[in-house]
Amino acid sequence: MKGASIMQQQMTGQSQAQQPMLTTPPQVITGKDLGYLEDQMNWLLVAAKKCSHYAQECTDPQIKQIIDQAGQMHQRHYNTLLQHCQNNNNSVTASLPAQ
Amino acid sequence: MPNTQIGNPKTPAAQSSGTTMSDMDRITDILSTEKYLTDGFNIATREASHDSLHQAIMTCLTETHQCARDIYNVMFQQGIYTLEAAQQPKLDQAYQKFNSYLSQIPYSGQMQ
Repeated sequence: MKGASIMQQQMTGQSQAQQPMLTTPPQVITGKDLGYLEDQMNWLLVAAKKCSHYAQECTDPQIKQIIDQAGQMHQRHYNTLLQHCQNNNNSVTASLPAQ
Repeated sequence: MPNTQIGNPKTPAAQSSGTTMSDMDRITDILSTEKYLTDGFNIATREASHDSLHQAIMTCLTETHQCARDIYNVMFQQGIYTLEAAQQPKLDQAYQKFNSYLSQIPYSGQMQ
């Protein structure tokens, strides 16, 4: 709905005619995004801890190794998602066209 | 009848050991964890707002799928999973049935 109204303004050339149309969502972490990010990081935290713990207890070297690899991957994914929480929402929203 | 069972003999690690956690119990639990994570990542990927976040979670999703597959393959090697081949007549029957349905798809003439 919002996108449609922006396009209409551009086509009719009314007062806010210079507003650029957003083609994709801007680099803002939405409240919904943050909820999902927190959920995922919680799962990954527990998964990484569990893998590390299990790998130490394993006797079979092949099983130990594959579980350790999984744990390291979870830690890496945790870091990836954590970096998305470092987003500067303020500066991005400041540069957005006014509604 | 040909042998329809596919699998390796169980290694010592693949045996369960009473009430204590064995290596088989541990790897089974980790596979469940990976399955759970792929479900979660799948929904988060679909719901993500901007493209770079979407791409990041998509990467987590595909890597976790690969990890689950690698774990599954280790379990197969250790004899934890055995598979059963479908009976040839049933396979042939399914092919005939769905091959005849191809004509129902409007695109089928354009395939290849």
